[in-house]
Amino acid sequence: MSQKIAINIWLNDERFKQLEKNGLGNMAEDRLAGMKMIRVFVSEEQKDKIMLLFPMAKYDSSTTGTIELLPRDAKDRLFDLCVKMRKTDEEVVDCFIEEEERRKK
Amino acid sequence: MSSKDIGFVGHGGRSIHERVAEYSKGEFSSLPSLELNSQQANECIGLGYGFFSPLEGFLNRNDTELVCNEMSLSDGTLWSIPINLNASYETLKTKGIREGEDIVLTYEKRPLALLSLEEMFDFDLEWMARKVYGTGDQKHPGVRRTLMQKGKFLSGKVELINEPRFRPPYDRFWLTPRQHFELYKMKGWQHIVAHQTRNVPHTGHEWLMKYCWFAANEDLPVDEPRTGVLVSAVIGEKRTGDYIDEAIVLGQAELGNAGYFNPNVFAVSLLLWDMRYAGPKEAVHHAIVRTNIGCTHHMFGRDHAGVGNFYKPYDAHYLLKEVKDRLRIRPIFMKENYYCTVCGEVTNGELDNHADKAQSFSGTLIRSILIDGVKPTRGLMRPEVFDRVMEASEKYGMGSPFVTEEYLRSRPPIFTLDEGKGGD
Repeated sequence: MSQKIAINIWLNDERFKQLEKNGLGNMAEDRLAGMKMIRVFVSEEQKDKIMLLFPMAKYDSSTTGTIELLPRDAKDRLFDLCVKMRKTDEEVVDCFIEEEERRKK
Repeated sequence: MSSKDIGFVGHGGRSIHERVAEYSKGEFSSLPSLELNSQQANECIGLGYGFFSPLEGFLNRNDTELVCNEMSLSDGTLWSIPINLNASYETLKTKGIREGEDIVLTYEKRPLALLSLEEMFDFDLEWMARKVYGTGDQKHPGVRRTLMQKGKFLSGKVELINEPRFRPPYDRFWLTPRQHFELYKMKGWQHIVAHQTRNVPHTGHEWLMKYCWFAANEDLPVDEPRTGVLVSAVIGEKRTGDYIDEAIVLGQAELGNAGYFNPNVFAVSLLLWDMRYAGPKEAVHHAIVRTNIGCTHHMFGRDHAGVGNFYKPYDAHYLLKEVKDRLRIRPIFMKENYYCTVCGEVTNGELDNHADKAQSFSGTLIRSILIDGVKPTRGLMRPEVFDRVMEASEKYGMGSPFVTEEYLRSRPPIFTLDEGKGGD
């Protein structure tokens, strides 16, 4: 089975508190030495669109299966969308892509 | 040519010599000159100060063949990576460079060294690449580097005629072999374990260094430590996505400044070297160079100096074990470590039995944390180290702890040369 594609959003105290305040603390996973993150899952088609929107981004297909090197502010907007929509699935990513496409126009 | 015994024994049991001389301005203005690239300049500096002892200059054909074929110099000394100087046929013709003459080697148009040119020769670069790297695959960066050496090789003794001046922050970390030995004497160190790095340190690195301290201390007393950890940061050609050099040296030094290492047992210095990614053979080379800066022990972890999947994770350990009787430095082999959520500490799969709870120190993950600007937990990276790395990003990296195209275009050179010494 092929691995799922994801975008990792690392959580500082502020972001984690924001999740907890909204009752979303269970979205966070302990990933490395107490570092928490949320994983936003992305379809193959969405991954291609994201790579076009952010040419500096890299898809690490060999080890983590994650999209890396997204700009910090884009990740902030993706995090805000996850909180607003209370989920981390492809629907959030669709909204993210739509918003980013609007921003680029 | 001048050659001064620094009073310490290095690789091959030979005294280390500095080949550095002062000359007055214009003394060599009648000699032909050859402009070096940064790798060649770094290697001239290495030869001049004795980092590559017992080499006195760039290898001739016979030694080049022996190094590639048998990992040996003609006198039987172990040597694993050829140190050659090449120049294009066109340059040699234009400059009228001939065997038996002295040549001024310049860098950034300023004189750096004098080469007593003994031999010029053609060499089969594809053969060299296969012998040194075990592959001819051009995806291997060392193979590409070898194949780029167009023209002829020039051999002969080298003498520095203009000593490099390192700009901040590197000036705090640059030490010649002689200065390394002086540092150990001042600190009272009898055993010194080298930790080679091109990374900013996370707790996995810190754990490796601390365990190596114990291994290197052997039977020396522990109430008055006589063993030190030397972080030997390799500074050379950078590629986009690497950590910027300033973040590496300042981040490593912060481990001492912030007390994670007692300064009595900890120091950081630079090694000018362009990585070949030759895996096991480069590990042997690193052992040789660290011998020449006075280290008695050298830590080798997983896939030392490897790249992609060209070498197996512990190939370097096996080769080092094979040649250990020809080395004057003792390798310390370390298994890849991880953070264990049960133990709540850094460990490895041979020491604990919680492999299913292992969290790998993936470079990709750590990179993404730094890019997100999220302060890591203390268990992953020391907060003071993170702060120092972020400061270095702002000050030297145009906001990034990683090398970008902009950094490559605009960063000032690591060292400069005085304009007036030796040359025109």
